[in-house]
Amino acid sequence: MAGLVECSGTAIRFKARGGGWTEALAATDLRLAPGSFTALIGPSGCGKSTLLNAIAGFVPLAGGGVAVDGAQVTGPSPEVGVVFQQYALFPWFTARGNVEFALRRLGLPRAERQARAEASLAEVGLHGRGGAWPGQLSGGMKQRVALARTLAAQPKVLLMDEPFGALDAQTRATMHELLLGVWERRRTTVLFVTHDVDEALTLADRIHVMASGPGRIIETIELGDRAARQGLDYLANRNRIIGLLRHARPHGDET
Amino acid sequence: MRGQGIRFGQVAASLGGVLLIWWAVTAWGGVNPVLVPGPAVVWAAAVELWADGTMGSDLRVSLGRAAVGFGIGSVLGVLVGLLTARTRILGAAVTPVLTLLRPIPAIALVPLAIVWFGIGEGSKWFVISYTVFLAVWLNTHHGAAHVAGTYIRASRSLGAGRLREFFEVVVPAAAPHIVAGLRMGAALAFLSLVAAELTGASAGIGFRIQEARQFMQTEVMFVNLILLGVLGALLDALFVALANRLVHWEQL
Repeated sequence: MAGLVECSGTAIRFKARGGGWTEALAATDLRLAPGSFTALIGPSGCGKSTLLNAIAGFVPLAGGGVAVDGAQVTGPSPEVGVVFQQYALFPWFTARGNVEFALRRLGLPRAERQARAEASLAEVGLHGRGGAWPGQLSGGMKQRVALARTLAAQPKVLLMDEPFGALDAQTRATMHELLLGVWERRRTTVLFVTHDVDEALTLADRIHVMASGPGRIIETIELGDRAARQGLDYLANRNRIIGLLRHARPHGDET
Repeated sequence: MRGQGIRFGQVAASLGGVLLIWWAVTAWGGVNPVLVPGPAVVWAAAVELWADGTMGSDLRVSLGRAAVGFGIGSVLGVLVGLLTARTRILGAAVTPVLTLLRPIPAIALVPLAIVWFGIGEGSKWFVISYTVFLAVWLNTHHGAAHVAGTYIRASRSLGAGRLREFFEVVVPAAAPHIVAGLRMGAALAFLSLVAAELTGASAGIGFRIQEARQFMQTEVMFVNLILLGVLGALLDALFVALANRLVHWEQL
């Protein structure tokens, strides 16, 4: 199980209103080593979600390419799992039904599929909650189900697009712990998009800072060995990223 | 439970009030009883229609027509709606035509229906199913054409093929709209029933209202008009109860 992601000269354009094109992402190189945890941070409109969508195979490229383990990405595939900010759970399936949706392509017997779905839910702390409907679950629980569903498909790469953006601080901290636990067990390559500096510093071992107009990576920060990280390093990196983000905003957009 | 009690009380008070005003106006004697019969006269007519079997056969005939028309119209509406929403070429070809057909009222189709299908059951089924079809098609098309993009993205990145995407994502995502269309279709089946029974029927609620006009039997008209209202309301309540179980994640 590898999970090497290589973006080379990846560029994306969108049709602008009233004709013409908007350059959402300038030609960008990005390499995600197998088993690494990378964060993309930047102001809105910097193309961080666009870059994630390109790796997911959701948007056509205007130039360059994206490869997972050497194979070009031509569309969505179960090898590249995605967790969305809006959960994207199917409300017509139960929590377990949602996870089973991901398992169905494996052609398992029904009993085994259900058992695997329950095991996936247990892994994210939802033991015995498989019968609940998404509408009955809190935001944090919904995102747990979404994570279980994505992991059940056994992706090599896990893309997360501001997955905890809608959660309160307490729930978010719990989810960080949960996610790191899952990642340490599975060592899936993770790309995590966020606009929260502390979230990026808590989770990732490498942070790419992006800027807008056109979207591009302006700086890469290596956080080094997790066990050896010091409080002072944290503060220094935090200040550095905040400084970069301040300049990354276009003028007149100081919100 | 308490909410239901309040609602029941509201309905009873509202209907009771109307009945009281109706009774007061007719008992006061200021209106011609031939034109506006009192509640007692209408009730007596209802009992008589029931006793001689007229009401039973009218109900059977009309409900049968509405059911057949609804069945044909809703099945076609759902199928065509899903097709036009999910296949670009078909959607582009068919949508303008159907948009043009939409404003044509059911009653305007009656003469054509007679020419095409004669005065038998065929022309009634045609008028009702056409009306139902348009409502169901429109709602189904709208629902299936506007499935949230993240559902589709989630489905594809979880490895579902196009067939599973259609049946397990698109159809359930559109289901609340489809059900809303079916509900509207059920109501329209009743509305167009009366128009359909203008095509030379010999039984049915709509026919009975027409026939009563020739004999100036306003009390028979009142009985059947009230019957239409009660049937429509009951059908709608039944539909909502059923729909809320079926698409439980989105209450009507």
